[in-house]
Amino acid sequence: MGSLSRASKTLKSVRHFSLTHPFPSIFKGNPLYTRLNDHHFGLSHGFCSHPRQNSKENGIDLSNYPTERIRNFSIIAHVDHGKSTLADRLLELTGTIKRGHGQPQYLDKLQVERERGITVKAQTATMFHKHNFRGTDISDVQDQPSFLLNLIDTPGHVDFSYEVSRSLAACQGALLVVDAAQGVQAQTVANFYLAFESNLTIIPVINKIDQPTADPDLVKAQLKSMFDLDPSDALLTSAKTGQGLDQVLPAVIERIPPPPGKSGSPLRMLLLDSYYDEYKGVICHVAVVDGMLRKGDKISSAATGQAYEVLDVGIMHPELTPTGVLHSGQVGYVVSGMRSTKEARVGDTLSHSRSVVEPLPGFKPAKHMVFSGVYPADGSDFEALNHAIERLTCNDASVSVAKESSTALGLGFRCGFLGLLHMDVFHQRLEQEYGAHVISTVPTVPYIFEYSDESKVLVQNPAALPSNPTKRISACWEPTVMATIIIPSEYVGPVITLCSERRGQQLEYSFIDSQRVFMKYRLPLREIVVDFYNELKSITSGYASFDYEDAEYQQSDLVKLDVLLNGQPVDAMATIVHNLKAQRVGRELVDKLKKFIDRQMFEITIQAAIGSKIIARETISAMRKNVLAKCYGGDITRKKKLLEKQKEGKKRMKRVGSVDIPQEAFHELLKVS
Amino acid sequence: MLKSTFTPVFSLFPAKPRTPKLFYYSNITNTFKHNPPSVRRNASSNTILTTSTTPLSQLTPTSAYIHLPFCRKRCHYCDFPIVALGSSSNQPDDDPRILNYVQLLCREINATKVESKTNPPLQTVFFGGGTPSLVPPKLVSSVLEVLRLKFGLSSNAEISMEMDPGTFDAKKMKELIGLGVNRVSLGVQAFQEELLKACGRAHGLEEVYEAIEIVGSCGVENWSMDLISSLPNQTSEMWEESLRLTVEAEPTHVSVYDLQVEQGTKFGILYTPGEFPLPSETQSAEFYRMASNTLSDASYNHYEISSYCKSGFECKHNLTYWRNKPFYGFGLGSASYVGGLRFSRPRKIKEYTGYVQNLENGVADCCGNDSVEPKDVAMDVVMLSLRTSRGLDLKSFKEAYGGSLVFSLFKVYKPYVESGHVVCLDEHRRVVPADELSTALLDVDRIEKSLAYIRLSDPDGFLLSNELIALAFGAIAP
Ligand SMILES: Nc1nc2c(ncn2[C@@H]2O[C@H](COP(=O)(O)OP(=O)(O)OP(=O)(O)O)[C@@H](O)[C@H]2O)c(=O)[nH]1
Ligand SMILES: [Mg+2]
Repeated sequence: MGSLSRASKTLKSVRHFSLTHPFPSIFKGNPLYTRLNDHHFGLSHGFCSHPRQNSKENGIDLSNYPTERIRNFSIIAHVDHGKSTLADRLLELTGTIKRGHGQPQYLDKLQVERERGITVKAQTATMFHKHNFRGTDISDVQDQPSFLLNLIDTPGHVDFSYEVSRSLAACQGALLVVDAAQGVQAQTVANFYLAFESNLTIIPVINKIDQPTADPDLVKAQLKSMFDLDPSDALLTSAKTGQGLDQVLPAVIERIPPPPGKSGSPLRMLLLDSYYDEYKGVICHVAVVDGMLRKGDKISSAATGQAYEVLDVGIMHPELTPTGVLHSGQVGYVVSGMRSTKEARVGDTLSHSRSVVEPLPGFKPAKHMVFSGVYPADGSDFEALNHAIERLTCNDASVSVAKESSTALGLGFRCGFLGLLHMDVFHQRLEQEYGAHVISTVPTVPYIFEYSDESKVLVQNPAALPSNPTKRISACWEPTVMATIIIPSEYVGPVITLCSERRGQQLEYSFIDSQRVFMKYRLPLREIVVDFYNELKSITSGYASFDYEDAEYQQSDLVKLDVLLNGQPVDAMATIVHNLKAQRVGRELVDKLKKFIDRQMFEITIQAAIGSKIIARETISAMRKNVLAKCYGGDITRKKKLLEKQKEGKKRMKRVGSVDIPQEAFHELLKVS
Repeated sequence: MLKSTFTPVFSLFPAKPRTPKLFYYSNITNTFKHNPPSVRRNASSNTILTTSTTPLSQLTPTSAYIHLPFCRKRCHYCDFPIVALGSSSNQPDDDPRILNYVQLLCREINATKVESKTNPPLQTVFFGGGTPSLVPPKLVSSVLEVLRLKFGLSSNAEISMEMDPGTFDAKKMKELIGLGVNRVSLGVQAFQEELLKACGRAHGLEEVYEAIEIVGSCGVENWSMDLISSLPNQTSEMWEESLRLTVEAEPTHVSVYDLQVEQGTKFGILYTPGEFPLPSETQSAEFYRMASNTLSDASYNHYEISSYCKSGFECKHNLTYWRNKPFYGFGLGSASYVGGLRFSRPRKIKEYTGYVQNLENGVADCCGNDSVEPKDVAMDVVMLSLRTSRGLDLKSFKEAYGGSLVFSLFKVYKPYVESGHVVCLDEHRRVVPADELSTALLDVDRIEKSLAYIRLSDPDGFLLSNELIALAFGAIAP
């Protein structure tokens, strides 16, 4: 234990590292991952002699696993570097799942994850593994000590880095997976720092070494130069062929320290995540930090003071497996009769009702980068959408939701998201998991406007900003991000051009190795929200990687851009843009609408305006003819079907004044940057 | 050959006594002479008034549509259930396909259930196709005979037949008149040789003039000139010419169909609506306006979206459609509306044969017993009546479907009354100005007092009828 606290103290001192200093010289000679190598050897022996208590549910007796026999680790990496596939292999290796049974990326359970081939939600799985420390001489596998390993597979995409930081809070170590061909990428950097700042032991895993273009030595060099990770500590694996995988769990057990919890102290557990199950109610994922939890215990939330009885407790193995108990250092689930996940606050501390404990630090709240309106596609479905959103936010607590209304779209919600992919995934889950069809308004970032009387407003919905304000606006601020871009050096020119078009300011420029450039930019969040990454990928033939974290607000020349149909502003289409871009964006919006609004019985004028100044205008001439002359032989059924289809089409439209706007028009506007 | 195959048709119903009015040729001519058009029109609107209290659809049909699917070849725009005889069949009189079909058709008519013996006789019969004029008059006669025996046939019934130029001569025309055919719908389609060719018509311009001459010389007083607008490569000049020649031919009725490019037709493969060589949407709207103006100037009433007539010469048969009244349908692919149920027969001969067999065995029933939602009927009524210049009769509509439906209809239509697409009329058929409508809309009772009809304007409202009717559907079934 002593060594543990010492190790974390050493790490505390380097905590202030920020992304603005990507190559901290302090790293030199700080072997983060080797500090606990052979410490538990002696301990493991004593517990082996304990008789197995198979009376416990499912034959799993967690009391056999004191903290010394527990390792909690996350798998972190850049997008697609193979985290989930590596997790599969480890689950198979430990017999947790059967080889070749389940689907690949077993832990990616959501339909969106399977369809998009990405992880959006961190998933925990408990495994058991027998291991012999180096130097001991137990030849019979039966006699080798068994370890309880909690693996957390995390998402790689920048939008979900919040999931990564929460996962890391339950871990003492992380496998930093790097694709042997792609090398260090932007999210590798970001996730490394998340783990590093959380004082975790980092085990570099160079994966996909089976690829013909794999260059593990180059990657080792990058890891050394960027993170000061010792090349000899890197594991070389292929999650595809299985090569090198036998090295992974021994490294986890030997290098990562056990959880620091005190089993004798009163119960304290960290609420990591929660979701709603139709049958069981709210299911909480928890990390027991101190003490022990049993089925039937009375527990209380530090945040709400609410008390609950533990109805079921167990581990994710990888499916929910009741164990009746969780010991300190263990990660598992708790069912406690919570009725809504609003009661289950991620980051909350749960303890026994009778005891008074110091709450755990918890998490800093998720930062919402983009906001957009979410409306039922069919106006009458508000209640259904309300219900769907309530349910989904139970399983995705990182969305903020507030009711709002729009003249064009009726009653709906203003939602805050971690990024555009997160928004997309949220919409897709609403549709797939809850059958709700939605219209989203153009995403916006939160702006701050200051009036001449020095009052300030935070604008999350452009429509809320008066188009012709009575008070003069004296200043506006927009959020910025600190962006990391890693590219092969031949693309430097076009990328710099792109960043300056996006009003970016270069802060750093350096070489990772002879071919790769690392750049840091400060960019207005608005500029990267929609299509920056796609653009970046297309000008670099897909080689660029990109990551960002939020930074401070900067003063900016912003205007509100209204869209008017037949002179009437459509609140759901208003946006806030930089003055210099207003003309182009206005033109694009008007053109898109012209393309997607059908001719109607009247002429339609489409305008984009700043205040009372029209900056773009188009007209859609009136429909000339829509008549089926023939109604032959009295056979009207076909014609009626046609007209009914036409009616249904109208029903799906949104009406502003006398203009029917198809839903696609709203969807298309999302693509205007 | 002909005789031997023909006999069985009659042998299907030899036991029934022949009705006394078997030879009523003189009656028919009398109808023409002594029933001035205005009287006939009044008679038909009276029927509407007297029956408006009982649901029209529940009455026994007094109209029958007969499908005679034969054509020499398929026109390039046609997707109807037809049987192309091919050019080899120069002697359709002997064609066994026609003969067999007519036998089957007569079996269908005979197998149809009739509620009671005291039903009113048929008032209209419409032979559509196909090209009914290809069918030998003897066979037409047998069909009429079966109809008369089965349902009764009013002595002054309107019996229409679609006839194509080049498929009949004066002799045939006279024979048909002798059988009781008293209204001809002449499929001229265009007055330009190149357009006739381009749409795959089996006749040329010469046959068109010949046919008009025959119809006139045989003394058919009530005939319709059928035209198609918006054909490929059709110019305004051509359309103007067609309209002018139509007016000069002095038909009592004109049908103007806007070309519909249907999937699976030759045109459907070749052309995209609104794109060259088809006229643009703007131009084809212009064609519609030209027809409306030219024919109105020549004192034709534009009484339905695609129909014009001299006063009193509405097609009575088609009026049953627009008034949502019941009608029988017999033959391949034909639609019927009996007992409140719409039914379409199989469009392929093989399936249709099976259907007739089942009908005879009592296994099939063309009117089933599914229930129809009142809303569905309300939509039918709106859709059909808004095709006519008479428009929707608000009083009977309200009685049948309730005042709130009328109210929501007005709410939806208000902007279109203001824009002139929709016209409100009082009980004297005077136009109610848009601003008066706003006050009328304040409460439901006022609507009833000041408004009696609602119709689509000509040509603006008619031109956008799909859009406007779809809006009405939205008001009826939101
Ligand atoms: N050739 C090769 N392909 C691999 C290996 N490991 C993973 N892959 C493939 O790489 C792709 C991405 O793998 P994932 O496991 O989904 O990657 P991930 O890091 O979990 O991705 P995110 O969760 O979206 O960040 C998949 O197509 C895998 O089959 C490997 O060792 N060799
Ligand atoms: Mg994954």
